[in-house]
Amino acid sequence: MSSHYNPLEHPEVQQGTTGRYIAAFLASAALMGGAYYASTQKLPFVEFVTMAAGLSLAALVSQLVLFFGLNVSQAQIWKGIALFLAVPLFIITIGMTVWAFSSLYARTMPMDGMVMSGQPTLLQ
Amino acid sequence: MASNIPAASAVLWNPSADEHDPISARTYGFWLYLIGDALLFCGVFASYAVLDNPVNAAGGPLTAQVINAPHGLLQTFIILASVLAYSLGTVSLKTGNQAGVRLGIIAALLLGAAFLYISGSDLLALAAQGDGPTRSAFLSVFFTLLLTHGLHMVFGILWMLVMLVQVSVLGFTKDVVGRLLNLRLFWQFQATMWVCVYFYVYLLGGSR
Repeated sequence: MSSHYNPLEHPEVQQGTTGRYIAAFLASAALMGGAYYASTQKLPFVEFVTMAAGLSLAALVSQLVLFFGLNVSQAQIWKGIALFLAVPLFIITIGMTVWAFSSLYARTMPMDGMVMSGQPTLLQ
Repeated sequence: MASNIPAASAVLWNPSADEHDPISARTYGFWLYLIGDALLFCGVFASYAVLDNPVNAAGGPLTAQVINAPHGLLQTFIILASVLAYSLGTVSLKTGNQAGVRLGIIAALLLGAAFLYISGSDLLALAAQGDGPTRSAFLSVFFTLLLTHGLHMVFGILWMLVMLVQVSVLGFTKDVVGRLLNLRLFWQFQATMWVCVYFYVYLLGGSR
């Protein structure tokens, strides 16, 4: 890189395109709209969760690829690797907390109200 | 002792070496911050999962009674449109088009304000009917999650106001361009987090 480079020619500036950003918007909006539509269809709970989670995950991936521009190019690969290494931390943070408290609640909390309400919760 | 190192390569500082690339360094550093910020959201999501049950609702409402899923979907479209506007503004940056950059920032800013208005109205209405954050542990974490995201949005809007001034006064210097790129990452991150909030709270929580 030359000593007095033009910042507008930097790869981070030049990576974005109008078509890619519009595709990101349309894909994310359609996928989340689809997830909302699924929530109005009175599907069985597990089937609905699977469908909504899949659509939301697809929306997240479309944002990572199309909005953030993550790819395996030399300019972007380390962002992808940092995210890839952080994803287990996200899962551990939420998963271990939920698991620990679900065990704790089963042994210590008055769960009659939860049973009587008939509502499954995230812990169940 | 005689050295075998040629004189030219023994120089510790080489003035003709490639310049440090501050834009790449700052962008990557900011990306690592965003991953840390995502971990903060994970902590709040974990708390939400733990407290979203009738025991912690203390006789008060649970998710299905406090959320407005159509409003949430509207907010999803608004925040995605805001991110699109800012991102298109940075496409104008490629050609040094100041008017395009300013237009993108202003559109993103207005859409972000509309998002906050809807979110704020819903939360204020809940608080006004007695279901504020002090009503139960569940409502505390519900408000915490939405306000954590909302606070990020507020700071994003403030950052946009600062960048509008800097673009006009300083032009596209190396520092200004770096900040515009980091703000793009920050704003796109808000839409990504909102997709998680919308799925976890509005869709999953609202379906029970």
